[in-house]
Amino acid sequence: MSRTLRISSGSLVAAALLLLPALAGAQSPTRAPAPAPVKPAALPAFQEATLPNGLRLMLVESRRQPVVSIALMIPAGDSYDPVGKEGLAGMAANVLTKGAGTRTAEQVAATIEGVGGQLFAASGPDFLTVRSSVLATNAPLAFELVGDAVARPTFAAKEVDLSRTQAASALQLEQSNPAALAQRYFAAQLYGQHPYGRRPSATTVRSLTADDLRAFQRTRLVPGGALLVIAGDITMTRARELALRHMGQWSGAAPAGTTRPAPPVRDRTEIVLVHRAGSVQSNIVVGNLTYRPADPRAYALTVANKILGGGTEGRLFATLREKRGWTYGANSSAPRNRDIGALIATAEVRNAVTDSALVELLAIERSLGSTRVPQAELENNRGALVGSLPLQLETAQGIAEQVGRFTMLGLPRDYIRTLRPRLAAVTAADVQSAARDLIRPDRALVVVVGDGSQIYDKLARIAPTRIISTQGDPMQPSDLVQRAAASLPVDATRLVAHSDSFVVLIQGMPQGYQTTSLAKGPAGYSYRTATFLAGGMVQQSGEASFTLELRPTAVKSSGKVQGQPTSTDLAYAGGRVKGSSVSMAAGGSKTTAIDTTVAPTVIDDNMLTALLPGLRWAPDAKFTFDTFDASSGTVRAAQLSVTGTETVTVPAGTFPAYRVEVTGMTQAVTMFVTTAAPHRLVKIAPVGAPVEFVLAK
Amino acid sequence: MRCLSFALTAAVALAAGPAPALHAQDPGRIQLDTFSLANGLKVVLSPDRSTQVVAVNVWYDVGARNEQPGRTGFAHLFEHMMFQGSANVPKGGHMAQVEQAGGSLNGSTQDDRTNYFQTLPSNRYNMGLWLEAERMRSLAVTQANFENQRETVKEERRLRFENQPYVLSFLRGVTAPFDPNTCFAYAHELIGSMDDLNAAKVEDVQAFFKMYYAPNNATLTLVGDFDPAEARRLIQQYFSDIPRGTAPPPVSCESKFNAGPRRETVTDAKATLPALLHVYMIPEYKHRDHAALELLSTILGSGQSSRMNRAIAREARAALATQIGLDVTGPHRGPSTLLALAIANQGVTPDSLDRLMTKEIDKLAADGVTEEELTKAKNSRRASQIFGMERANATAEAIQTANMYLGSPAAVNTDLQRYMSITRDDIKRVAQQYLRRDNSTVILIKPPEGPRP
Repeated sequence: MSRTLRISSGSLVAAALLLLPALAGAQSPTRAPAPAPVKPAALPAFQEATLPNGLRLMLVESRRQPVVSIALMIPAGDSYDPVGKEGLAGMAANVLTKGAGTRTAEQVAATIEGVGGQLFAASGPDFLTVRSSVLATNAPLAFELVGDAVARPTFAAKEVDLSRTQAASALQLEQSNPAALAQRYFAAQLYGQHPYGRRPSATTVRSLTADDLRAFQRTRLVPGGALLVIAGDITMTRARELALRHMGQWSGAAPAGTTRPAPPVRDRTEIVLVHRAGSVQSNIVVGNLTYRPADPRAYALTVANKILGGGTEGRLFATLREKRGWTYGANSSAPRNRDIGALIATAEVRNAVTDSALVELLAIERSLGSTRVPQAELENNRGALVGSLPLQLETAQGIAEQVGRFTMLGLPRDYIRTLRPRLAAVTAADVQSAARDLIRPDRALVVVVGDGSQIYDKLARIAPTRIISTQGDPMQPSDLVQRAAASLPVDATRLVAHSDSFVVLIQGMPQGYQTTSLAKGPAGYSYRTATFLAGGMVQQSGEASFTLELRPTAVKSSGKVQGQPTSTDLAYAGGRVKGSSVSMAAGGSKTTAIDTTVAPTVIDDNMLTALLPGLRWAPDAKFTFDTFDASSGTVRAAQLSVTGTETVTVPAGTFPAYRVEVTGMTQAVTMFVTTAAPHRLVKIAPVGAPVEFVLAK
Repeated sequence: MRCLSFALTAAVALAAGPAPALHAQDPGRIQLDTFSLANGLKVVLSPDRSTQVVAVNVWYDVGARNEQPGRTGFAHLFEHMMFQGSANVPKGGHMAQVEQAGGSLNGSTQDDRTNYFQTLPSNRYNMGLWLEAERMRSLAVTQANFENQRETVKEERRLRFENQPYVLSFLRGVTAPFDPNTCFAYAHELIGSMDDLNAAKVEDVQAFFKMYYAPNNATLTLVGDFDPAEARRLIQQYFSDIPRGTAPPPVSCESKFNAGPRRETVTDAKATLPALLHVYMIPEYKHRDHAALELLSTILGSGQSSRMNRAIAREARAALATQIGLDVTGPHRGPSTLLALAIANQGVTPDSLDRLMTKEIDKLAADGVTEEELTKAKNSRRASQIFGMERANATAEAIQTANMYLGSPAAVNTDLQRYMSITRDDIKRVAQQYLRRDNSTVILIKPPEGPRP
């Protein structure tokens, strides 16, 4: 094939290169080119110093951009909470940035935003971390705000109360969230008396006072044992100077360590069934303890874990979902903690296949230890792990996070530098060996949250099974009682076409609106909602269609939350619901693929408010019903309970209304429905947040 | 009920506070090496050995502006088509291969351009280049893929635009000041019309691909950890056999400033409260006044402490929400728009809302802004640019933006100065010059009339 080569204007180099194809005879290959060799992560040498008060400094100096990111990590995480005061570290982290030094919460926020920077604090099992990222010229401000937060927090009554209310509400919700219950009981059973097994409850959180927070700050938020990681455009001299100025007066030696009780050792697989009457699905968590963070087997286990359950490419997903259709989500993780880590696999499955799914899951785990992983599968999974590390180290903030974490976990100085080659060097034999040692299906803890009356017998045939209630009390098999499928007793003649609009108040200020409308046709109903908040930061609209017999047929919605798209697309047919949902989750959006059976009387979450006018409302009314929630892809047993009668004033007027508590759905809410027919919804407020939807028209 | 969790994520108001002084500090200088292949592919290499990723970023000089009457929506359709496979890549294979390499990817359509990008660990960028060349050379524009993606696009339009209150009206606002006879480019909507998409044939789509998805119509930018000589060799190897296409026809847009105040009323089927949209015509992205207008829009309408939000939403309680947008459908090589939207609170008439918006804008035009406001706006601009530059792909986008809109990739190193040199007088002047009644189209967005139960 002849080609006319035109030399474009410009350099000789360009001209020479244009001749290359003719000289080299090179053509574009028909397959993707092979990877070049992986490089070790290249970070600047760490510079270290210790202040007179014991605070360790670690600097990763980089002139790439004039930015500085600091992360102060203190061994004061959740596992240090005193018994009975679980939730203390979490609440402290929440309130530290809501007023410190000479600034109120509003002033802290306005100050950091005024320079285009960031400030946040959080607690994990081992550490409480306060971070700030700013332009390099504002480095003094970052040190000041972080120093104030840990050494001079205000713990204003208003902020403490707000934090307590929010935390208590979130925990109350957990009771109706089977996945959260599964995690709670799994941790408790896996770690036994070790503090990693303890979790906050609504009771413990409600008991926390500002005095508790102050005592926590005095005794645990101390420089002794803490690490300040700094990354970016700043010298050690300057960093040290700023640390001295804003954290130098901060004092306190590391508290004496207490010996922690060792977690239990298992010699056989045991199942703990958390009985949740009415569940149509089971939440399975399977796992075992692994090792301390610096264990050399970590590289091989990281790869093994990815092969086992690293997302949609993992074996758990491929088998339990793609091949069997028993679940829409199954994966695994290998978290590392200072004392001891774990290997955890999870799956949510229908009642009827709970036992089969568990058997299959254990078999998949066993196969990793008994059979070599095929080369292609090894390379794909290894490649994804090796490849993603540099993306995490692009920014000063990313570097501070990674370096801080690995240092506080006691990993060696060269850990990040050697991580990629070490992962890339993991062989199929290494994976098999690590799996044999550290993925132990035959000595595992299995926690299943589900309806014991449906699943206990079959589970007991797999391994010894104990039963506890959702409150944690021991139960006997004879206590398991079958519950009939529950449905909402709706009088469809009371469902008439209408539309309503609500104003959304956030902290009392109108910040948006929501419109709802119900239309009725010969084939059924169409219920549409649209929400618009905060100048477009949140937008959503959706439509739920259901038959005249109130069976859902389709649900579609789409929207954006702060630029992240969310959507739902479900079709109900032949006793199944299929589709997908994209929802907000920590770290981005989460896609849930859905394909599961639903009993005929199950409604869809999005239909509920449309059905309210059709219920027989009374001062003592209580309704229990099964409803499908797309964001988790599960059927939930929910409840509407009338807890009182109040006069409610909203823009549309003043109405006597029943106060209705809604529990068991994704979000606990309080609704107000007029006592007189037609029963209109005049107000909704999610529990624990300063938000209200009030009827306007 | 999930809608309520959206409300939760949007809570918390902040009071304004004092901003510290502005210090002069430059972001790191971006290295650039620009050349073209024989087939017209423009390449910008920006090596940065201090990172360990490479962003492979392609801009095609095609967007809504290139569409003809009767053929709207094609540019956006292609955003979907480009993932449907090519001669040597199965459907969905581009995404799968990038993810298996530990990378991330995305793409988007705007009025003036369409972009596709991936960030990969540096030892895999060769694959990123190869994948982009594959789809540039042999994207599978088949009947089946076309029909499939057309349905996806229609569904997206239904859910994202038609079913949302104010969105279609907002998009109408962006196009309203333009006359379809003299500036069809910006006078029609980016999402396109359903009728046009339905009437389209696969041959039309193939012709569009051939014309616009050609190397002479594309700029490939590489940022990050690569050896320039090797990158050049690979780019030659993968891209040079893709034939040059016919030069696309030029796009023209004639549009007058101060064409007299215009008022429109649109009925928005999904709205239940009226809203006011002020649309002002502003100059093209590269115009010096554009930078001043960007800072002005931050001060006027960005965030809780902005002027419009404070005065109209919080103090007067006349609006549920206020929002300012500039270049909403992407920067223009031609006149563009600045939009100010306010949704009326219950019981507030559109006229009174209109008066309040105008009053705030006139006040700013008469008295200007404070030094503190200007400093905060500049700080915010500078910080977001500098933090962006930590990321290879954000840097690639900045280079591509400079190349397309500011005349050359080299402008990326001087762009920040455009903003930092803006004075309070500049802000006052552009407010007076552009945010004036006779340069505005005011759109009253009304809920549908009709019986309410």
